[in-house]
Amino acid sequence: MTLLNVCRPTSLAELVAALRGADPVHLIAGGTDLLVGSRALPDAGRLVDLTALPALRGIDTTGPDIRIGAATTAAEIERHAGLALRYPALVQAAAECGSVQIRNRATLAGNIANAAAAADLIPPLLLAGARIAGLTQGGAECEISLQDYQAGSGMLITTVILLAEGFGPDSAFVKLGPRRDLTIARLNLAVTAQVQDRQIVEPRIVAGALAPRPIPLLHAASVLGARGPDADGLRAFLDALSAEVDAAIPGRASQGWKRQAIRGLGIDLIARLLKLSNRDPLFDGVM
Amino acid sequence: MTPDAIPRDRLTLWVNGREVSVIADPHDRLSHILRDRLGLTGLKEGCCEGECGACTVLVDDHPVASCLMLGFQAEGVRITTIEGLTQGGGLSGLQQAFLTYGAVQCGFCTPGMVMAAEGHLRANPDGDRAAIRHALAGNICRCTGFALIVDAVESEAERRQADLSNAMEAGA
Repeated sequence: MTLLNVCRPTSLAELVAALRGADPVHLIAGGTDLLVGSRALPDAGRLVDLTALPALRGIDTTGPDIRIGAATTAAEIERHAGLALRYPALVQAAAECGSVQIRNRATLAGNIANAAAAADLIPPLLLAGARIAGLTQGGAECEISLQDYQAGSGMLITTVILLAEGFGPDSAFVKLGPRRDLTIARLNLAVTAQVQDRQIVEPRIVAGALAPRPIPLLHAASVLGARGPDADGLRAFLDALSAEVDAAIPGRASQGWKRQAIRGLGIDLIARLLKLSNRDPLFDGVM
Repeated sequence: MTPDAIPRDRLTLWVNGREVSVIADPHDRLSHILRDRLGLTGLKEGCCEGECGACTVLVDDHPVASCLMLGFQAEGVRITTIEGLTQGGGLSGLQQAFLTYGAVQCGFCTPGMVMAAEGHLRANPDGDRAAIRHALAGNICRCTGFALIVDAVESEAERRQADLSNAMEAGA
């Protein structure tokens, strides 16, 4: 017989009360990480479901900031026209999370709190300078930069906050996995820049699944911005991406293939940023 | 008010248009409750980790993997299984299309495939073939090679579009 109790708070006041109970508290939202076969559900304590709180759902673009509820699903992000205009890379990442069945359950804060190295939503959120608001274990409100978030710190995320102006149209996300759909990234890349007449100005790039946490690729972004996307410039950019892999995971078994694979992914990234096919003549002979 | 944190041994679910009451353990997944407690054996459980799509049901019209949802999380939503698609005791148009196109071989994946397709067509009635393939990417079939399945869904989208056009003309 299980000693696990469950509850589904429907307001933040109920949620705070549930968190303050004497029993050990376990949280569940979409369940797409917690319920996979290899993970054991808790046998005792209090299992709090976060999916019945209207305060944790929805995307509000009407205020000075964009506020996305923690339990907003990847599918809701994927379908949001306002986000697609302002944060294309985030919407593209949401559209490539798992399958439609997963995206209809997987939540934004779940992707953050699960803190997988391969999480798809985190690279574009880091590029966006996202902040997260939430509750401490004592129930006090707090707000920190996503960059400073530590999984397992006890903070319950309630809202992800983005600047209202967004990236503009020039951002992109790409991933590489063992299969085309429903795949966990072996590498992912997000970029934002200003694109003017095919020139890529002030690019910033974040890579996932390359280190324990997504990391900025400062050198590669610098090369891309300085050299531009002609054939020589692209070759220099791809060399810089390989160098980033060498610096991030020296000696790891995956270093050899990732330093090659990131070159193809880099082409995909630039193609998507420039809204070109990755078979455009611009990329001929670059690899 | 503090929500009661008591063992939730009795759940009230809304399944295929009917309210049902079921005894369940907090660990019980929705797929287990639907298939083994409620006898809705059209639902198949394959991988039990959201990879195969065989257990797909609609939750408020959206396809979800019912193996990745605990039963108590399903209170207050509308659940539709393959049994809920039948119309007047017969097959729905989409089910019939699967038969017509030979999109069924062993049949194990078929209920999940149909439910994923039904969810897609409810939200995207235009029948774009690439979009259909993307919508079915979470459902694995080891028999058919997928092409006939996509053909069936595409044909059903066309049939629904034609029905809609006819209805609009009749009402004009």
